[in-house]
Amino acid sequence: MADKKNQWKPAIILGGGLVVLAVLVIVFFTGGGREKVRRLAEIGIPKAQPPAGETAARKTVTLFFLSDGDDFLHGESREIAAGPSAADEAERALAELVKGSARSLVSPLPAETRVRQVFITKEGVAYVDFGREIMDKFSYGSSSELSAVYAVVDTLTFNFKSVKKVAILVEGAEKETLGGHVDLTQPFLPDYSIVAK
Amino acid sequence: MKNFLTDKQRKAGRGRLLLSLVILAGLTRPAFSQAAGDPGARSRSDARKPRTVVIDPGHGGIELGAKGKLGTVEKDITLAIALKLKAMIEKNMAFQVVLTRDKDMDVPLESRSAIANNQKADVFISIHTNSSRQKSAEGSETFFLSTGATPDEEIRRLAYLENNSSRIEGHVDKTSEDDVKMILWDMAQTAYIRQSSQLAEIIQAELNSLLGTRNRGIKQAPFKVLTGAACPAVLVEAAFISNPEEEKKLASDAFQASVAEAIYRGLTKYLQLYP
Repeated sequence: MADKKNQWKPAIILGGGLVVLAVLVIVFFTGGGREKVRRLAEIGIPKAQPPAGETAARKTVTLFFLSDGDDFLHGESREIAAGPSAADEAERALAELVKGSARSLVSPLPAETRVRQVFITKEGVAYVDFGREIMDKFSYGSSSELSAVYAVVDTLTFNFKSVKKVAILVEGAEKETLGGHVDLTQPFLPDYSIVAK
Repeated sequence: MKNFLTDKQRKAGRGRLLLSLVILAGLTRPAFSQAAGDPGARSRSDARKPRTVVIDPGHGGIELGAKGKLGTVEKDITLAIALKLKAMIEKNMAFQVVLTRDKDMDVPLESRSAIANNQKADVFISIHTNSSRQKSAEGSETFFLSTGATPDEEIRRLAYLENNSSRIEGHVDKTSEDDVKMILWDMAQTAYIRQSSQLAEIIQAELNSLLGTRNRGIKQAPFKVLTGAACPAVLVEAAFISNPEEEKKLASDAFQASVAEAIYRGLTKYLQLYP
């Protein structure tokens, strides 16, 4: 019996080693931060619902739209449900941005656009994951692509202190551009020079 | 759209400048000083080789670009303008012209700047027609890359070093070679941005005088097609295809020829600054 046990020992050690190696390989190839965002988005974790009733906390945010009269982004105040996390509020703010202006400003994003998820890293980069409608429903030129990107970037950095930079993903993946112009492969710093004074 | 240099870059620039002065002070070889003095320009040892301009008609193939309300498609207009520009350059000038596409086909964005780098282009010009969500948007503008928005910097750095390494090797001892290469690259970067802004300004002035469209000026933006080019590079937005009045103009042969003429004149003036 003892002999038999010893006979199996090397096989057990070898097998265990292989399992550890396999786990390491899997972690190595899939363990990146961005991957985490993608998989969270695909699992479709239900969005945190704000508490119902009139006592629910509200928060006023500024959304950035275009105006037909000039080339600037114009701020418009909107009330959203507050909490629990900045990422939850950011999702609601972007959903309101997609809905459009209440005072006939021009929407920089397609009305069909889904806000799939916002994930904010410790370093202050907000990863915003949109549905493919953001690419498919507009045929972008340089101007419309710049205003779509910076309306999103400025809306998040202006309202959320924890957001320093914004990265835009589409359907959980990094895209080169929305329509052939603005580089999406790097997170954006805000640009308030295009916001009307 | 962005400040020319951020404070951080200015500080980093000062640090590097100091380092570069220390290293350059230790070098007395004239060949190296010459190389360092003009880092953005192509080595003049091949000055007799005709200079090369790479013209990039925006979009193509399944990438239609922007669409006008009357049915005009950006990719067709940019190609028509680029072909007219190529014909003008070939008829009149002593420099070589290469198109990133000469028919309706897909060309990935990074391939477009790679063509410029492989051709050791002196100038890269991407041609587009603009589109906005605002019905009233009109006019022409010329973009160059915003600083601090160069994710493909590694590609550009490698392309630059590939074209310039022979000027460094043998002049510097091996241990400081990498430092010197980095310093030269930083200086080249600054030079590219400065030259791109100069080129943009000159072309914009010609667009204003030849097209009669509203002057939207020169701007900086993080455009993907400009991030990979290791040479002065601009993106011309000639009029708005989203504005029906301007769409009609863009669809006409005469207006396309004027856009080509404006870019052609701008190019000529710019290249005269760097004989």
